[in-house]
Amino acid sequence: MENKNLVELKNVRKVFGKVIALDNVTFTASKGEIHGLLGENGSGKSTLMNILYGLYSPDKGEIYIDGKKVRISSPFDSIKLGIGMVHQISTLVPEFTAVENIILGTPEDKFKLPIKEEGRKVKKIMEELGLTFPLDVKTKELPAGVKQKIEIIRALHKGAKLLILDEPTTSLVESEFRQLLKSLRALVKKGVTVIFITHKIKEIMESCDSVTVLRRGKVQDTLDKGQMTKEKLVKLMFMEKDIKVTESALPKVELPTIKRSKKPVCVVKNIEVKGKEKSKGLKNISFDVYGGEIFGVASVSGNGEKELASVMINPSLLSNGDILVNGESIKHLSTLSVFNKGVAYTPEDRIKEGILNDGSIKENVLLGHHTEKRFLKKNLFINWDEAAKAAKKTIKDYNVATPSEELAIRRLSGGNIQKVIMGRAFVSPTDLLITHNPTSGLDVLTVEFIFNKLVETRNNGGAVLCINEDLDELMIISDRIAVLHNGELKGIFQRSEFDKYKIGLLMIGS
Amino acid sequence: MKKKNIIQKDLGTKLLRSLFVYGLALLIAFGLISIIIALLGFSVPEALKTLVTTSFKSAFGFQETIKKTIPLIFTTYAFTIPFMIKFFNIGAWGQMLFGGTAVAAVGLLIGNFGLPSFIMIPLLVVVGILAGGLWGWFAGFLKAKYDINPIISTIMLNFVAVLFVNFIATSPTFKDPLEGHPITRPLPSSAILSFFHGIPYSIIFAVLAIIFVYILLKKTKLGYEITSVGYNLHSSQTYGINFQKTIMLTFLLGGALAGLGGALEVMNIHGKLIEGFAKTSGAQFGVFGILTSLVVAGSPTGVPIAAFFMAVLLVGADALQRTMQIPVEMVFLSQALIVLLIVIIRKKFEPNGGK
Amino acid sequence: MTFITSFISQTMVYATVYTLTSLGIIIGGRTGIFNVSAEGILLASASGGFLTAYLTGSWLVGFIAGALIGAAFGFILAFVHETFKVNQFILGIILVIFGSGLSDLLYKIVVGVRLSAPQAPSVPGVTIPFFSKIPIISGILNQDIIVYFMYFAVIISYWFYYKTKVGLETRAIGENPKAADVVGVNVKRRRYLATIIGSALIGVAGAYLPIAITGTYSPDISAGRGFMAIGIAIFASWKPQRAILGGFLFAGIEVIAFQLELISANIPYQFFLMLPFISVLVIMMIFKKQIEFPASVGSPYSRE
Repeated sequence: MENKNLVELKNVRKVFGKVIALDNVTFTASKGEIHGLLGENGSGKSTLMNILYGLYSPDKGEIYIDGKKVRISSPFDSIKLGIGMVHQISTLVPEFTAVENIILGTPEDKFKLPIKEEGRKVKKIMEELGLTFPLDVKTKELPAGVKQKIEIIRALHKGAKLLILDEPTTSLVESEFRQLLKSLRALVKKGVTVIFITHKIKEIMESCDSVTVLRRGKVQDTLDKGQMTKEKLVKLMFMEKDIKVTESALPKVELPTIKRSKKPVCVVKNIEVKGKEKSKGLKNISFDVYGGEIFGVASVSGNGEKELASVMINPSLLSNGDILVNGESIKHLSTLSVFNKGVAYTPEDRIKEGILNDGSIKENVLLGHHTEKRFLKKNLFINWDEAAKAAKKTIKDYNVATPSEELAIRRLSGGNIQKVIMGRAFVSPTDLLITHNPTSGLDVLTVEFIFNKLVETRNNGGAVLCINEDLDELMIISDRIAVLHNGELKGIFQRSEFDKYKIGLLMIGS
Repeated sequence: MKKKNIIQKDLGTKLLRSLFVYGLALLIAFGLISIIIALLGFSVPEALKTLVTTSFKSAFGFQETIKKTIPLIFTTYAFTIPFMIKFFNIGAWGQMLFGGTAVAAVGLLIGNFGLPSFIMIPLLVVVGILAGGLWGWFAGFLKAKYDINPIISTIMLNFVAVLFVNFIATSPTFKDPLEGHPITRPLPSSAILSFFHGIPYSIIFAVLAIIFVYILLKKTKLGYEITSVGYNLHSSQTYGINFQKTIMLTFLLGGALAGLGGALEVMNIHGKLIEGFAKTSGAQFGVFGILTSLVVAGSPTGVPIAAFFMAVLLVGADALQRTMQIPVEMVFLSQALIVLLIVIIRKKFEPNGGK
Repeated sequence: MTFITSFISQTMVYATVYTLTSLGIIIGGRTGIFNVSAEGILLASASGGFLTAYLTGSWLVGFIAGALIGAAFGFILAFVHETFKVNQFILGIILVIFGSGLSDLLYKIVVGVRLSAPQAPSVPGVTIPFFSKIPIISGILNQDIIVYFMYFAVIISYWFYYKTKVGLETRAIGENPKAADVVGVNVKRRRYLATIIGSALIGVAGAYLPIAITGTYSPDISAGRGFMAIGIAIFASWKPQRAILGGFLFAGIEVIAFQLELISANIPYQFFLMLPFISVLVIMMIFKKQIEFPASVGSPYSRE
């Protein structure tokens, strides 16, 4: 009997410290299909595929390829078996060109460097699939969407018969997603199997022939195309039955009609900022943010959003223009002084730039506030009692799951960490909250909590500037959305005008 | 109170873990040392006994131990404070030398002014602090403005300081014509600190330094900024803490403390600048400062006790060489080995730094 | 004429130490392991290499011993770092301390205290007919075997890292270890190999000091060159072809400083001896903008 299963993972168990990431998971994918792996953040999808690819080793479980049991202890083994994987975060060498990246690890000609020859081979594959990119540019100069194409070609160049894509649409807009889908269908026609990992229900329904749903490390069910409905998939994805979610598996939130403030809380006037790395920076950006509104700024990663987030709290980065908060220019203020003017900030990468990792929750809540009168004695000594009070209040108001503010923040889950970061923003009165990708990688309940806090701030008259690469999210919570592309503001949409396809096109400069 | 119990249980486990780490490392290290001592033909129990008990067997032993503890406290702090923000001050040696040399030079230059002790001593102490502080600050500055790795800059400055000491100690203005070795003339008596029952008065400064460092790091705004930068440089910068200022200040503080240590050695122990005064029992005080700091994983609160125990071993090493002809380098090497083991074992059993 | 020739000749000799050491640091550094233990390796292999050459009467065995001692240090560095994830700088500093203690102890044990220091067997020179008579060029060419070994090492390193795929992969480890891991490159093994081989080169440089240059071992014979070599590796942007230039530069500064010291009467000689150390800092200040690092150097890599 011919085995139609290309890959089978049986009874896989994986534990990280005290967390059970995968609990007795059995997963199969057939030859020649696009098989979806659906689940919310933290459900174990990436972990499962990383085991298949050889980056993690399972505590228990077996892997079968084409019916034969195999041992995969490193990507070297999985590549030999014809498995390729494109990760959510780019795994290219930024200093190398596309061709150099693609030939890394191939077994022939170890002591030569046949760049031109390989370049020709790569061009062929590119043409067959309709994925094109520059071959001789250092990949650090290329946008995220192009890097993803390079990584797909890298996998195929090594002869991958099974291609795993982990959240491939993170940096893609609607139109680019459709292109990707076309290429994937072309691949399937050539006999390649695709495993498509995502947390967005809509993508699964548009692209997959079948889908396996994971929830908290356990397989809930496997459906094929005919059986897929949004309601079924939502039910399988989430334990919380009464949560209302959109097609992108994000919680639904109401934005009551309120009057926004007469005068804008924040005025950004013709600002220019130099770009970091390949980004062009910001060129002549102007917009206003009013009290009582959530103003979303949508962009694909690398179009100036990082510079915008940085300059709002570090105006020394301005090479031109001005920023006004409550009518006052903050152009010459230091970051701490900007905070003192009623501005608060939550950064996009909570682990790398949001928290003091080995510090206590108390020390973390104090960050950014430690020069405020409330927390200083004689302008020299820290008032740790007040700091403890502020930390305790944050823990209470934000439902942070921890017995004490003295414990290291590192021990909290990602969701609880983000809650502390968000809570920290409100330790002192805040007129303008600047938040960058506030819910990346969080479970749906925490996302709902964060959404509610942002809307609550808005409803109480506060101004929220939400810089976000997730357009689905912005469309749920924003009153207005502006598009940032190549460092320029390319249009502002009112809530009534929101159109995912249209806005997406602007985001990639069409 | 449930919360208190959790924290107490937490601390209890932490303590047990720490003790385990030290215990295991000492066990392995002493085991290895014993083997080497035996192989070289010496008596192991006698050697170990001399090593550990010399400090407590006589008043002299105890006094010697205190005399080594004091400069060691200063050089250990010199490494520890920049280490809190994950940078390595290898320059305690040069900072100590520069502090001591500046004090000798200034002391000899103004010696004829006839200034009384209560002016001379505080004045020279300040000179030592400023000189060492400058030497340390410069490395911090080079990192802040030119991104030069402090390991390299502090070591280059060490070598420059060594040459500078030689210059002062052999220059006709300062040198003692009767001595063959590079040594300056003795400092005026108003600049000399004396002893109390064999204990140098410089101990007062050591105690003041301990209190100062504790309050600075745990209670002040600057201490919070230093600690935060050490936890996460990017997060601290994002939320407004000035990294450049912080690194220059930590290296300034480290250098100042080492410089003070050097000044006190010159003013209290030697009364003059002697080339090589910063060396003890087989290596420089600066080097032992690094080892001591690593033993307590860079914790500022652990410094005084660790310095004392290190001094006990150094006094023991001197005794071993004196009475059993075991070279001091033997103990020095063993200490480096013990520190390596402690660092490894600690990483294995306390991978998150014990929190 | 003869002054220039002898200046070039002396510079080449010291350049061998600087270049081999910084090359050793670069080879390991390209895989992400920043070897700051160079000074300790120089001392330990100077002592061990010299003693071996002295006891066996063979310069070659002495150099092999030096290389092995270096390799041992490299192995410890790679092993402790990869297995226990101990910080590379802490490890390197401890190894420097360890190396300096070991070097003095070994010498004390084997030789003890003597009135006249024992001498090592000398290293044979290489003479190229015809060219060795030409002034200036003879300064470059009339050198011992180890100097030629230095050239060889630089050329091989350059070819490996920039002209082969396996070298491209190894460099990838230094830039983004995850990128190398996901394409099946064995990150751990290459880090071990690179660090061990690099440290062995530093060991050769260490043995060169007593055996070829001074003729005998003395404490602090390395005089900070191990740390200066770290500086060279940095402003050579971790490129072998630039390391040799840096090596010549610093050897030249060292030789000039020594010459100036001999001829100057008014300026205290200590200030000339300070020149090499100050130059390291000045050069790093000047080249600040041009310096590139392998992006992951200094950090451990783990999959999880």
